[in-house]
Amino acid sequence: MRALVILWLAIPQLLSGQVAWQVSMHVGRAEHRVRDAGGLFPASGTVFGAAVGVDIGHQFTVSAEALGGRFNADSSASIDDHSIAQVLLLGGMKVRPWLTVQAGPVFRNISNAVARQQWTALRVGGEAYVPLGLEGVRGVLRGYWMPLVSVSGLPRPDVALAASAGVEWRGPRIGVGTRYVLERYDFPENAGDRRIEEVSVLRVWVSAFWSSP
Amino acid sequence: MIRASLFAILALVPGALSSQDNTAELLDRAAKYHADLDVERELVLLRQVISPSSPFVVTHDQRVQAYKYLGAALVVLGQTDSGIVYMRAALERDPFVDLEPQKFTPAELAAFGEAKRLTFGLGVRPIPFDTIDPRTERVHFTVMSTHSTALLVEVRTAGDPAGVMLFRGDNDGPRELQWDGVMPNGRLAGAGRYELVLIGISRLTQRADSTRLYFSIQQNHPRLEDTLPAFGPRDLLPEQHPPSAARAQLFKGLGVGAAALLISQVLANSELEGGGGKLAAGVAVTASVAGIVAFVRGRRHREIPANVTANAQRQTARAGANAATLQRNRERLEKTLLVIAPAAGVGP
Repeated sequence: MRALVILWLAIPQLLSGQVAWQVSMHVGRAEHRVRDAGGLFPASGTVFGAAVGVDIGHQFTVSAEALGGRFNADSSASIDDHSIAQVLLLGGMKVRPWLTVQAGPVFRNISNAVARQQWTALRVGGEAYVPLGLEGVRGVLRGYWMPLVSVSGLPRPDVALAASAGVEWRGPRIGVGTRYVLERYDFPENAGDRRIEEVSVLRVWVSAFWSSP
Repeated sequence: MIRASLFAILALVPGALSSQDNTAELLDRAAKYHADLDVERELVLLRQVISPSSPFVVTHDQRVQAYKYLGAALVVLGQTDSGIVYMRAALERDPFVDLEPQKFTPAELAAFGEAKRLTFGLGVRPIPFDTIDPRTERVHFTVMSTHSTALLVEVRTAGDPAGVMLFRGDNDGPRELQWDGVMPNGRLAGAGRYELVLIGISRLTQRADSTRLYFSIQQNHPRLEDTLPAFGPRDLLPEQHPPSAARAQLFKGLGVGAAALLISQVLANSELEGGGGKLAAGVAVTASVAGIVAFVRGRRHREIPANVTANAQRQTARAGANAATLQRNRERLEKTLLVIAPAAGVGP
């Protein structure tokens, strides 16, 4: 409670510094693979999304991202065709000019014609930048551990990790980038069977930047 | 015993102190006798002064004075040739010696004139301690030749073969000269040891003579400021990337690409028979291409424009500061005073 009060009091001071905004549009190709009950159910599709990021001062960042798309089973049309929609919120603090530690919740909804599954997870991790020697071009590496994951109808997974690697160019006003993202969830064994789930995405995006004093 | 020694010392000290006074007293009495034309008594006193067995200390000036009066007294006695010999002895020791017309007879003056014609000597008066502002004041020298002489007078840095010529021409007798303190290079004389050199050739005897007067100069001016030192290697930013930087960019690009492939291969669960390897390859190719482009560009363009600009700004700022410092120092040097002092040393 006390931490929330301190955060609440700090917000005006943080906002009084320079604020830089970033809005980006994403499109990507994704694969959703699930192994359960002895079968493998791969699906793939195109995802679209949008994100808003705010740099507050020189140290703090906040971002929100919404992403969704339709996934079709690779074999044939079936009830394994489904849609995924997710919202990701992340707060970050730059501990080095090239390193930001981040944490935030993820809300995901997976639905098909007959059912809907709700995912909620807390991500903790970081983002590292690798300048590539070309003006505005840098590599971006991300890694997250999800200590708290809640999936409707399923137990909490033993392993919940996410990682990504990408390259982006950031100009004075606009930027473009691409990123490969992998999320892995290993659920506990149940009656001799173990559910494993994985989402991998190759995204490209276009961003616009501006700042206010 | 000690008391006796003290008495002996006390008895001798006044004698020693008064010996020079005694010579001066003898010369005063001789001059008085000369004025009274009591030449016989005068000669006795003067011969006592110049005698090697004189118990009194005789200074250079006193000896010159004695020779002068001796010569004049002998002229009065009709021994003009002997008188001229003593007058020449006086002139050889001090070319500035002279007979005052109000104290000496025309015969004495004529004999002294003959002595000057027969004796060739150059002289320069000692320079006193002085401080001059070269913008408005001059250093004064008085030089002398005993008779008509082709004379050259120069101020030189001690030991230099040439200097500032103050006079060149015929001279007979004393001459006042001035020097503004400026050397042949147009700069004010710096701190150091200098010499006033007189070189002359007698117009009568064709004999050559020279003499020197040594003096020192110190410059007195407000304290000067130091200029900023030149930038060292650590004061400037590197203007070029090292050759290894391009390789590093290549490895970074390849590294990011490898990271994408590693994520798809290592982090992914093999039981799912795929981790989006084709998707990861897209990022791997992009990152590798970026690294290769950075490598090629880094090899061709090693300069760092931002650092080049920053260094140029630093150099400009330093040059500006130094120019201002030099201007202030010039203004201070323009107010330099020359402190002149006699220096030890004798010239031929």
